[in-house]
Amino acid sequence: MFWQKEIETQNKENLRKFQLECINKQIALARNSQFYKDKLANIDKLNSLEEVRKLPFTTKQDLRDSFPYGCLATDLKNVVRMHSSSGTTGNPTVIFHTKDDIANWANISARSMYMAGARNTDIFQNTMGYGLFSGGLGFHYGGERLGMLTIPIGPGNSKRQLWFMQHFKTTVVHILPSYALRLSGTIKELGIDVKKDLNLKIFFIGAEPHSEAMRKKIEELYDVKAFNSYGLSEISGPGIAFECPYQDGLHIWEDYVYPEIVDSKTFEPLPDGQEGELVLTTLQRQAMPLMRYRTKDLTKIISEPCKCGRTHRRIARITARTDDMMIINGVNIFPIQIEKTILSVPEAGKNYIIELFDNNCMDKLRVKIEINNETFKGTLKDLEILQNKLVNELKQELDVTPVVQFVESGSLPVTEGKAKRVIDLRTKK
Amino acid sequence: MAYHISVFLENNPGKLEKITTVLAVNNINLRAMSLASSETFGVMKLLVDNPEKAYEVLKKNNIAVSKRQIIAVVVDNVCGSFNKLLITLASNKINIEDCYGFLLSDGKTAAIVLETEDYPNTEKFLSDKGFEVLNSEKIYNY
Ligand SMILES: [Zn+2]
Repeated sequence: MFWQKEIETQNKENLRKFQLECINKQIALARNSQFYKDKLANIDKLNSLEEVRKLPFTTKQDLRDSFPYGCLATDLKNVVRMHSSSGTTGNPTVIFHTKDDIANWANISARSMYMAGARNTDIFQNTMGYGLFSGGLGFHYGGERLGMLTIPIGPGNSKRQLWFMQHFKTTVVHILPSYALRLSGTIKELGIDVKKDLNLKIFFIGAEPHSEAMRKKIEELYDVKAFNSYGLSEISGPGIAFECPYQDGLHIWEDYVYPEIVDSKTFEPLPDGQEGELVLTTLQRQAMPLMRYRTKDLTKIISEPCKCGRTHRRIARITARTDDMMIINGVNIFPIQIEKTILSVPEAGKNYIIELFDNNCMDKLRVKIEINNETFKGTLKDLEILQNKLVNELKQELDVTPVVQFVESGSLPVTEGKAKRVIDLRTKK
Repeated sequence: MAYHISVFLENNPGKLEKITTVLAVNNINLRAMSLASSETFGVMKLLVDNPEKAYEVLKKNNIAVSKRQIIAVVVDNVCGSFNKLLITLASNKINIEDCYGFLLSDGKTAAIVLETEDYPNTEKFLSDKGFEVLNSEKIYNY
């Protein structure tokens, strides 16, 4: 049941004590870096976790500004790996790892996968991007650490993915939710029966915020249990928080990070149970400790005990990123609301993009949805009924009346990494 | 029973061509068609010589396609003949969901392709009224 029973079920008191010790060590270590040297100059040793709020926040922009080595807290001779964001403007964010960092990250990844039910007899197909993106290599090392046969296939080439699944009898898959939906189209096209022809059991889905409806859809399409994975490259990558078999929030590994929720406008810490921005302080990182890193992910901490017996608190499914919020004629909208609504209408296709444009000085929202080949009845009347249904359901969810447009299956752009679903065509922005 | 093929189409240049190309490379002969469209998308009905095969190859090319039952009635290629057919149908409260026509090879008669709600009855009703209803062999190849 447990990968590391003692740690995973450690009592709260010991866990908090351990966290405080770790934070003090991380502060001492961080002072070695150019970036934190001044920022932590006036910080003494913390006496309680309450005092964490005295620590400065760290933002993605801080990491960019300290490019390339400003946040490095150790000698380069100890550094064995870097990952980097694919920043299109300005400097990328660069994250460094020592050998211990890689080992600790592999350990929490293995712990996450083990918690979901993966075992060393499993065959693990990792469809996440390898390379600078941390999603692929993170779980690759975790899968090996757990002892699974790990197939480093990487993303794309759906036919080859399915060929591997069939011939190696893949049981566990790590996949972007948007790609899982797309791949299921190829399964239908090739006439593969997921129950008879494949041996799939467990999916790890992450790297894109997604709705509960999306998870259900993926579980149904592949006849698997799909587990929500949370992580970010700045801390390390996937496996920072993960769902247990009860699939009711993600246990955040509190021996690895110290989580806080802050108000997304005032940045004041909020009590457990209240929604705000997730802020993480690293507890074990050697190359690049981070103080109160602002993730921009919106969630809440669930402190009630979990049925599985783990004492590490849970975070709720990420509802959105503060970055993703769209403002349409003054109304705040998150893309996940649109996804949830589309997936609740079974006759609609599953792939979509959101376009914002202006019309007579008013913001307009257009949702392009791929036609569902399975449920296409062949009359314009049926399509118009479906179109009206989607417009009404979206209007109810968003308080904005969208334009719904159907497009051919497979016609919407898909990137190898995360799906880019929002296109802002407005001139003012 | 006879069928035509219904496909989803975006109102953009090149979209129809994609469909006709699939049909052409698979040696499927297109006999007639009709288009119903809203602002940005539409549905195209295609009468072909081999609807089963057309359905399969279009589906394989990831095109939204469905088969729909039709009746084809022969009318003379003269003024008022189509009108007579419509009046006959209306008199029996038969609702037409879709309809288009094409000239038959003799040039003197045309086939009117109908989608209605109630097939066996419509077919029988029209035969009883003296209309020539084409069998599927004739619809696909006549
Ligand atoms: Zn649990």
